[in-house]
Amino acid sequence: MAEYDTYINTDFADLKEDVELTGVIRDLAPGRRKYRSTYARFMVSKTADKYKDKLQVRLGRGQLVDTPCSIEVIETFNVIPKGL
Amino acid sequence: MAYKYYKDNRAYINALLQTGDAVVVNEEVDWDMELGAIVRRICERKGPSPYFKNIKDYPGFEALGAPIANYRKLAIAMGLEPETPVPGIAAEYLRRAATAPIMPRIIDKKEAPCKEVVLLGDDADIMNLPAPMVHDGDGGRYICTWHFVVAKDLDTPFVNWGMYRQMLFDEKTMVGPVLPFSDMGKMFHNKYAPRNIPMPFATVISPDPLAAIASCAPTSLPEDQFTSMLMGEPVEVVKCETSDLYVPAHAEIIIEGVVVPNVMIEEAPFGEYTGYRTSPREKRTVYRVKAITMRKNPIMSVSNMGVPTDEGQLLRSFSLALEMDKLLKEQGIPITGVYMLPESTHHLVVVGVKPSYANIATQIGQIVFGSKLGPWFHMCIVVDDKTDIYNKDEVIHALCTRCHPTKGITVTPNGVGTPLNPYAWPEERQYGRGGKVVFDCLFPPEWPASMIPIKVSFDNVYPKHIQEKVISKWHQYGFED
Repeated sequence: MAEYDTYINTDFADLKEDVELTGVIRDLAPGRRKYRSTYARFMVSKTADKYKDKLQVRLGRGQLVDTPCSIEVIETFNVIPKGL
Repeated sequence: MAYKYYKDNRAYINALLQTGDAVVVNEEVDWDMELGAIVRRICERKGPSPYFKNIKDYPGFEALGAPIANYRKLAIAMGLEPETPVPGIAAEYLRRAATAPIMPRIIDKKEAPCKEVVLLGDDADIMNLPAPMVHDGDGGRYICTWHFVVAKDLDTPFVNWGMYRQMLFDEKTMVGPVLPFSDMGKMFHNKYAPRNIPMPFATVISPDPLAAIASCAPTSLPEDQFTSMLMGEPVEVVKCETSDLYVPAHAEIIIEGVVVPNVMIEEAPFGEYTGYRTSPREKRTVYRVKAITMRKNPIMSVSNMGVPTDEGQLLRSFSLALEMDKLLKEQGIPITGVYMLPESTHHLVVVGVKPSYANIATQIGQIVFGSKLGPWFHMCIVVDDKTDIYNKDEVIHALCTRCHPTKGITVTPNGVGTPLNPYAWPEERQYGRGGKVVFDCLFPPEWPASMIPIKVSFDNVYPKHIQEKVISKWHQYGFED
């Protein structure tokens, strides 16, 4: 089971569940790659075991939301133009 | 003639260790918040710099925390005695800053310590550098907190060394704010980005202390020349691997690449110099990494922004004040000095002036707020020439007793602000708006002498011979110093 976090600039109540979202997630696996960020398409749930991977949610100023969530990462992608 | 200075961070660390202003930490320290927490506590206690010898997950790397977070360390960095008072440090800085520009000296790559290790292509992976998670809640690992970014204007030879924070995004990408009124912001947003040209950059991590000080200074000179003036001889620079930029040859780590035009990605929040996490997660400027060069067993430098006092607060306060001192004197204003309290996170400027004519305080406020430095602060206290601007107690006393609560405060509602001001409303942050205020702590010059209140202090209300008698017999009375 992997663990990620993501930031939202809205209230936690406004976080949409079970629909495809696009945003930045961070990998929380320990070691040198911890906090590596990537753009992704994913679905989230405010139920801890709905999807296979764990998700922590932080608000815009870094406030950690207490509710343990879960995430299904559909695809990761890069937004930097090729060649750079 | 060269002044006493430290050619690299290693010599500077040794100097700090000799004076007791650094402590070796042999215990393994986790880059994930533990290192940051130690540095934060040191800043808040104004303590010695921690020199970390053993960083978890990153054998072979070391780190220096809080490199110049108090005036003792600034004095040492300038080659002065640690006890040198702030006006003494300022006088020496101004003396060196008034000399003729000195061009940097280019040296061969074989002689440059920062080229001992050269990593290109896939090997240039910034996640192999011990970038700390500085604070819990930060939007990422801030690889660059005590560093500067080298960039060159697209149309002129102008080179800028400036501190622009950089967050690690992935192994090849960094991101950070480049505000439009900054020197690099003008180059990138006005010239490179409109023409869709990637802007070469080189990030210099752990430079020598004078180069770091120069990169914080609001000088109009290219900072490589200004660094040389502070040293009294040319700073040694070396050409980058992937661009025509030049970097200090004795720095610890160099990250080279390009600033990507017309692409923004998410950065922040971050514990900022104001002592708050203010700016939210937002899309900001992207740096793409092409090369890393470094010394063997490199030493990172880590500043920890937060409540005062950290490096940014101290050095920006110091050099902004001196730049305004120069500006006001050039305008013929009879000032006695300018000081910015580091505890104000360089938001408050204190100006001492001979109160020669009515509303001179307002004029001072208009000049300093109207300068290119104006966006960085929003409060100006003007005191008379007998008030010690470096003495917080005297400044607070003047503010609370001489500033008329309605007639003495001049508010300018529409000024240039920054998105980092914690007090700002969301739309003010978004559009870089901010108010300005002048506190006039001068008794009006039109008041007759008989009407002016007399300050009741030891220095002011006793005849000289009584003062001297009391001072000379102080120990005889039974008092300690």
